[in-house]
Amino acid sequence: MPRNTAIKVSNLTHTVTSNTGDLTILKGINMEIKESESVAIVGSSGSGKSTLLGLLAGLEVNTSGEIFLYEQEFSSQSEEQRALVRGQYVGFVFQSFHLLPSLQAIENVMLPAELKGDKEARNKAEALLEKVGLSHRLTHYPNQLSGGEQQRVAIARAFASNPKILFADEPTGNLDEENGKLIIKLLFDLNQSQGTTLVMVTHDNELAKMCDRQLVMSAGQLTEKSL
Amino acid sequence: MNFAFRLMFRDIRSGDLLTLLLALVISVSTVTSIGLFIDRLQLSFEQESANLLAADRLIRSDDDIPKEWEAKANELSLQAAQRTSFTTMMFAGDSLQLSQLSAVTDSYPLKGAYLVDDVLFGTGKRSTDTPKQGEIWVSSRLASLLKLNLGDQVEVGDASLKVSQYLVRDPGSSTSAFAISPRAVMNMADLAATNVIIPGSRVRYSLLLAGSREALDEYENWITPRLSEGQRWQTPTQRGERIGDTIGRAESFLLLAGTLAVVMSGVAMALASARFVKRHLMQVAILKTIGATPKLLGQLFLLQLSILFMVGALIGLGIGWGLQEIIASLLSGLMSTTLPEPSISRLWLGAATGLISMVVFCLPLMSRLIKISPLSVLQPNARIELNGFAIYVIGFIGMFGLMCLYTNGFLLPSIMTAAILGIALFVAAIGWLAFKLGRSLTSGATSGWQIGLASLYRRLIPNLFQLLVFTLIIMLTLILIGVKSSLIADWQQQLPEDAPNHYLFNVQANQIDQINSDTTQLGLKKSDWYPMVRGRVTAVNNTTIQSLYPEERGEPELYERELNLTWSDTLGKGNELVEGDFFAEGLSVELKAAKEANLEMGDELTINIGGNIITLPITSIRTVDWGSMQPNFYLILPKSALEDYPANFVSSLFISDAQAQAFYRAMAHFPTVSILNVGDILKQIQTIVGQLSQAIQLVLLCILSAGALVLLASVRSTLEERLEEGALLRVLGARGALVRQALLVEFGALGFFAGLIAAIGAETCLLGLQVFVFNAEASFHPLLWLLGPAIGIVVISTIGIFASRTVLKVPPVLLLRGL
Ligand SMILES: Nc1ncnc2c1ncn2[C@@H]1O[C@H](COP(=O)(O)OP(=O)(O)O)[C@@H](O)[C@H]1O
Ligand SMILES: [Mg+2]
Repeated sequence: MPRNTAIKVSNLTHTVTSNTGDLTILKGINMEIKESESVAIVGSSGSGKSTLLGLLAGLEVNTSGEIFLYEQEFSSQSEEQRALVRGQYVGFVFQSFHLLPSLQAIENVMLPAELKGDKEARNKAEALLEKVGLSHRLTHYPNQLSGGEQQRVAIARAFASNPKILFADEPTGNLDEENGKLIIKLLFDLNQSQGTTLVMVTHDNELAKMCDRQLVMSAGQLTEKSL
Repeated sequence: MNFAFRLMFRDIRSGDLLTLLLALVISVSTVTSIGLFIDRLQLSFEQESANLLAADRLIRSDDDIPKEWEAKANELSLQAAQRTSFTTMMFAGDSLQLSQLSAVTDSYPLKGAYLVDDVLFGTGKRSTDTPKQGEIWVSSRLASLLKLNLGDQVEVGDASLKVSQYLVRDPGSSTSAFAISPRAVMNMADLAATNVIIPGSRVRYSLLLAGSREALDEYENWITPRLSEGQRWQTPTQRGERIGDTIGRAESFLLLAGTLAVVMSGVAMALASARFVKRHLMQVAILKTIGATPKLLGQLFLLQLSILFMVGALIGLGIGWGLQEIIASLLSGLMSTTLPEPSISRLWLGAATGLISMVVFCLPLMSRLIKISPLSVLQPNARIELNGFAIYVIGFIGMFGLMCLYTNGFLLPSIMTAAILGIALFVAAIGWLAFKLGRSLTSGATSGWQIGLASLYRRLIPNLFQLLVFTLIIMLTLILIGVKSSLIADWQQQLPEDAPNHYLFNVQANQIDQINSDTTQLGLKKSDWYPMVRGRVTAVNNTTIQSLYPEERGEPELYERELNLTWSDTLGKGNELVEGDFFAEGLSVELKAAKEANLEMGDELTINIGGNIITLPITSIRTVDWGSMQPNFYLILPKSALEDYPANFVSSLFISDAQAQAFYRAMAHFPTVSILNVGDILKQIQTIVGQLSQAIQLVLLCILSAGALVLLASVRSTLEERLEEGALLRVLGARGALVRQALLVEFGALGFFAGLIAAIGAETCLLGLQVFVFNAEASFHPLLWLLGPAIGIVVISTIGIFASRTVLKVPPVLLLRGL
């Protein structure tokens, strides 16, 4: 069955200005990811994986090259349009959770649906939190939850907008093994049940092996890891 | 947009919006309360001065007032009254006396009241009536000179009038020291019948007006082009020199206080905005990751800010109004009169302050906030540059604009802005140096001292910024304290309890001994006698005054009128020599008069004394304390120049209410001696000064509390970082005591430097203010140099420890996770 292309990247480079001058993090990246594929991006710390993920999600504009998300090219779009694309296609899970500390768990999960003006936001959020096993923690604030619980809330939030692509940046990096496994199971379950494309940065070999493909980031270049 | 409200509600719940709201409420309420209060005081001064003028406005003329002038006043629905004053001889039986007589229309006085009595030398009761046709009110002095009793007839020109009251005080009585002689007031309707006013008589005609400010302004516009020479438009603000000075300075003080309140509010808003933005960085980044567009975020924040503004402004205005009422009622307990109600229209000032400071401090930061790239927030290594140069510039311009709006001028805002800029540069330089030194002392942090100082250095930029805020607030406080104490000291010094309140004029040489023994018997304190000869300056360095000032415009006071000249063996009380030799055979000129006329040592003045011309060089210049109520003179001549002329003598003395009657009776033996009672004016000044001192203390208190709140907000703004650090230290094994000591050192050092720099800044500002705004002499304020660092150390460490006490109590694990 020929699958659609979810993400296509050609000649992507990215340069940032830092305290010590210009720093080119990504140096000509090419790749393609099909719909509902699961892809692991591995590589040493500081090699530019998070930067790549952020660019793929349109969180920032790349310096040169092209990024297509479902045939739409990011760099030619305004920030406004990119945000709309993001809301429609993309979910994001961070290594350090990034829940809003002033919101309860349920409110954090409701945000994406509320943003779209969905009246059913609360019900959907409850269902999602139940799915990640937190139905008893709805009204807790992030600082009242353990790391694993916070990450589960973050995953529920990421899936709240029914994303076609889920980006996960070291989702288990801050968790112990047991919680890590729980999170991974959740991600793959949702990936399978909803046909979501999963792009994940990880240091965990086990986890990487579970993915359909592995890409290695090194010195700003991305290569396919031969199996 | 439902979403916006829900998000806002959640924000409120978390307290992040509350800080901004609090800052807004503080700024709106401080500016409102001070603005309203100043308005009330000004209205009250105006009323009091209107009482002195007997009207809101007055036109003085040497000629009869044209009919259409009064018609115009009626047309504008202004109240009008007329007064005609002149000097005339009055007769009763075989006595006669030259007296100052005024004829008034029935509506006189429009403001204030006469004091009249039916007992000779009584203290008087208020009366807003005027003498009825055929009646006359005479002063007790005139009555005793003419041996009149109530009901007696007195002749004025061709008319005969019945004495119906003793006149104690005339509401429109001139404060000019030489408008003396026995007084009387009659009805205007009788004036024609007297036939005393003939062409060439020296008569002063006045048209008095009262009514709404708008109508008065319109009338002023109408009348100004119609005024000819010898006609003057007078407003209550052109008050007698001493009252004018006092009130003027108090107004300047209050204006200054209000301006400083504006600056403080600006600082509070800037701090709160910065904190708001910092706390919302993550929210914006996350909302963006899940698909919020910048447009949506923009609308979201705009809506939040609008609601915030409306709520904050309303609360602020409410609190401001209440606060101002409290100040006023506290004050009215101490004052005889109640303050007039403030004008509601003044409320916009507070609201505008809130709006403008929100626009200049919040909006630019917000617009940056919604443009921020989410990745840079989430990427731990990226630097987030929120406070661009442009943002400071906008804030500065906004603050300057606000001050201009507030003061209705540029001088004060310019001084303040220059001061703030100067302080900012100074803080940057000094702070950097101090912290740099601090670090070299602190390598290898083991004690609380060293950790504290090292911590200061580590967060150099935020600490410098905080130092700047502390310095500004302390400086503003010191400036106010400095101005307040010198103002009040000035006033008290100006008006000692037993300042002379009566002048004796026209005393002949042969009467001096008798009067001296009378006053000694009565136990009265009297100044020396000064001989007085009238003369006029006709030429300077042989150039006539006419050719110097051909149009008689802008003539210095020294040349404008006949002067009272004197000679003296001693430099009188309240006089101070500035230049030259007082005892030389030449003229001694008062400093201000000399400056006004551009005179210098050695210039020769030609003086016409009763037809004789003498020319003398200026051999000394002196200052005179006009507040001393001693007889004072612009020009003092050598004795040799004056001794051949017939002189009158003048003296001043203090007479208490209890002594007054006895003294007036004794003086009845000297019908030619003129007595001027300035006691009422003095009392009025003393009450006003008393009120103002109280008012100023209260306003100062108000601003100090606002300042303390801003300091608290400023400490809070870095609290998060400090909390984190405190927790980290404790995780690393530091004892609570060590953390406490480190914090104490950090805040103490910040406070000390802030106080020290603030003292330098305040002293500089005070210099500028004294010279440019208060027109006073520059002076040094040693107290500030003590107070500054003391306030800095004590207040800031207290606030800091108080605000950070959680660091020392909360388990470190909780803190690390909660942040
Ligand atoms: N906005 C930025 N400013 C400065 N340096 C950055 C920025 N973004 C990334 N970097 C630097 O680029 C390198 C790659 O970062 P990142 O993509 O987070 O690596 P990884 O996720 O592979 O560990 C790091 O050295 C990081 O410090
Ligand atoms: Mg990373």
